[in-house]
Amino acid sequence: MKLAIVVQRYGHAINGGAELHARYVAEHLARHAQVEVWTTCATDYVTWRNELAAGDERVNNLLVRRFPVKHERDPLTFGRLSDHVFNASHSVADELEWLEAEGPTSPGLVSHITKHAGEFDFCIFFSYRYYHAFHGARAAGTRAILVPTAERDPAVGLSIFGPIFRGVRALMYNSPEERTMIQSIAGNQQVPSVVVGVGSDVPANPQPQRFRQKHGIRGPFAVYVGRIDENKGCRELFRHFESYLRNGAGKLTLVLIGNSILDIPKHPRIRHLGFVDDADKFDAIAAAELLIMPSFFESLSMVALEAWALGKPVLANAKCDVLKGQCIRSNAGLYYENTAEFVETLRALEFNKWVAGSLGKNGRQYYRDNYDWPVIERKYLDMLQRLSASKDAPGFEALPGWMERRKDNCPPAADIVAATPAGPSTAPDMTLPRPTGPVSPPLPRRPQPAVPERQERPRPQQRPSGGQGRRAQGNRGRRGQSSGAPR
Amino acid sequence: MPDFNVRSDAVNVEQIMEQIRARIREKRGVDYTEAEIRELASVKLEKFLDPRGVRSDLLEQFRKAQPPFAPPELPNYAFEDQTLFESTRGPLRLVRKLLKPILKLFFNPNPLIQALNIQSKLNASLAEREAKRDAARYAFDQLHYEVMHNLVLETTRLGIEVKNLKMRIESLASRLEFNERRARALEGAVVYKPAADERPARVEEPRREESRRDEGRRDEGRRDDSRRQESRRQERQERPEPPPRQQPPAPPASPEPVVDAVAAQVDATSPDGAAAPAPEGPGQRSRRRRRRRGRRGSGAAAALMTGGQPGETGGDGDDSAGSDEGDGDSGLESAGSESVAHEPTSAPSHAAPEPPAASAPSPEPVQTSQPTPDDPSATPEQ
Repeated sequence: MKLAIVVQRYGHAINGGAELHARYVAEHLARHAQVEVWTTCATDYVTWRNELAAGDERVNNLLVRRFPVKHERDPLTFGRLSDHVFNASHSVADELEWLEAEGPTSPGLVSHITKHAGEFDFCIFFSYRYYHAFHGARAAGTRAILVPTAERDPAVGLSIFGPIFRGVRALMYNSPEERTMIQSIAGNQQVPSVVVGVGSDVPANPQPQRFRQKHGIRGPFAVYVGRIDENKGCRELFRHFESYLRNGAGKLTLVLIGNSILDIPKHPRIRHLGFVDDADKFDAIAAAELLIMPSFFESLSMVALEAWALGKPVLANAKCDVLKGQCIRSNAGLYYENTAEFVETLRALEFNKWVAGSLGKNGRQYYRDNYDWPVIERKYLDMLQRLSASKDAPGFEALPGWMERRKDNCPPAADIVAATPAGPSTAPDMTLPRPTGPVSPPLPRRPQPAVPERQERPRPQQRPSGGQGRRAQGNRGRRGQSSGAPR
Repeated sequence: MPDFNVRSDAVNVEQIMEQIRARIREKRGVDYTEAEIRELASVKLEKFLDPRGVRSDLLEQFRKAQPPFAPPELPNYAFEDQTLFESTRGPLRLVRKLLKPILKLFFNPNPLIQALNIQSKLNASLAEREAKRDAARYAFDQLHYEVMHNLVLETTRLGIEVKNLKMRIESLASRLEFNERRARALEGAVVYKPAADERPARVEEPRREESRRDEGRRDEGRRDDSRRQESRRQERQERPEPPPRQQPPAPPASPEPVVDAVAAQVDATSPDGAAAPAPEGPGQRSRRRRRRRGRRGSGAAAALMTGGQPGETGGDGDDSAGSDEGDGDSGLESAGSESVAHEPTSAPSHAAPEPPAASAPSPEPVQTSQPTPDDPSATPEQ
């Protein structure tokens, strides 16, 4: 079987979510099929500047073909067009213009797909929202398989993507929430699909002590791994964590791993380590009490999966449907919506080791059941075999004509996304079995000083009636026993 | 933070979250966000405010009543020297211009023109001023509406706060009442600490003994009259050993069986043993009630704690409070009267229910059998 992986960026140094996802999938599918990677010369997802040489290259024994990007992204134009198509009625031409502005505009890549897609069994496209996926999938025709990596942002509501979601041979979703969202927008329930996600190369024996020694970290800590950015919810995270610190009872330190484009509060219990390598990252997660994921938009948080793979609980932002759904399905993480919930959930995980351990154990099981590489590979191979056996390929709907494209009949994309059902998916296919019996509620036992005081105080006279009389009898009985006096 | 009470390996994230949220609600109490307050102010205002007084959709109503402000279209007041002779038709304008000298032969139009010109300027000025005033009034109206709306919000917030405070006050009041009752009960149990050597001689309940010991410990500083204690101790040692108490058979038809039985028992255990039937006088029961009430009250408790403990003063002939044999009742009576003095209104009402004649056959009270504050026979009735 010959497979082509088409992705906007590719390389060792590229750690974006979808790109890393594509690299992992390509490398693991290469064990079962002949795989080529088709990508651009860009490494920066903001400018799409051609920084790598065009042509063939081998990355981890995989053939990677790079194609130049025609023009860099103009942020002003892209911002203006985004505002227009997301928030105002617009035309299909506007959306195509927006797609061109977003990039990475690589006609060479599309041309290569048009010419050579027939030589491959399937072309697997990553990230629906970019130029290469939109035009490349149409060029690949019935060989196109899409890994949308869609988040709940307005772009998914653009009308040009509906035919893509309906026309590809199959969709490999990252989460049930993503599937629900795309199916409700595009109405593509008939397209074969499966919730796959991605695994991770988690080391078998991470070294937490090594991490502590290397970075001089003592005591318990919570870790955040990722770009430290407002869009990732880090500003909110800092606000919540400062509130936790003000509370005074907890002893956790917040350790931040990743490049920062945000001012980090100066506090001895907020440590920023910058970018670290994978070994350090896994050591850090293994050394941490928990992982915090404050992001609002995620299609699948790989770092959360890695934390679960290492048996650590996750504290996620409940405003992200995917993260909340993952926490509920895995039964391995808590979530917060505001500062009070953040503080309480953090303290619950900090002070209740047993609960944190149980959540971590559930997370490990969830990872093994759903995101371990044999499971992921098997899901991909099953889908490919199913598609190979079936010749049913609906194909793509044609784009509107010149006149039709220019009619302002497309509603604002943000309105379409807002109308789609939100919240975590309750699909049972990836949910761990819940305890069937009466689960003992993990109630935090609140201190009740009044009760023992009342029991210990002297009761010289009994009261004549009601419950107090009964209570007095109870006390009397105990006293009678202790004193041995007959009653 | 206390440990979670989990009994098995099964955790449920949703349950944990529910409990965490419940705990947050418990901590914060009735805590409203700004949005919730706004919602309450606009929708459910009648729950907190008098709906006849304030309308929840006040701002909307004002805005509806007030049309949106548009600057008035001012008429053309312009009047210049050529205005009288102007025309849209060119030939007519030319003819007028030609004939104007002839017109001026008949009258001088210039003063008229000047007057009208001044008037037009006045008109324009007044109209402009009126427009400015309208605009200012409109702006002030907007401000007033906003202020009113904010007042409604604040009133709602205050209403909620007052409600919460009322609930807190109720809670505190009930707690205070409970504490007061508890304090009275504790004060009523204050007695002196018996010496260790006389403990075996006294037949009392161990529980009461312990309680008394505690109270006696508190009062040790006040009881410095060792001589009086010594004499009391000697007198008790001279008394015959009281027999062990037995459960008295309670008469079923008696309205106060426990009291009667206990009274009979106490009479049977009196030192002199003379008044075995222990009849109670008609006023004795009410006096006893008054005394108990007095013991519960702070005044009586103070009297008891300051040495006026009638039951404990028995046998001391020198004691001004009286003795068990003769003046005990008067001593008790003095304590009781003190309590009555503290509670003047309650005494008559409690003295009203007289004991039945069957339970009090003899009018003579037996002084020694009066239940003292540390008397166990007083316990069941209280």
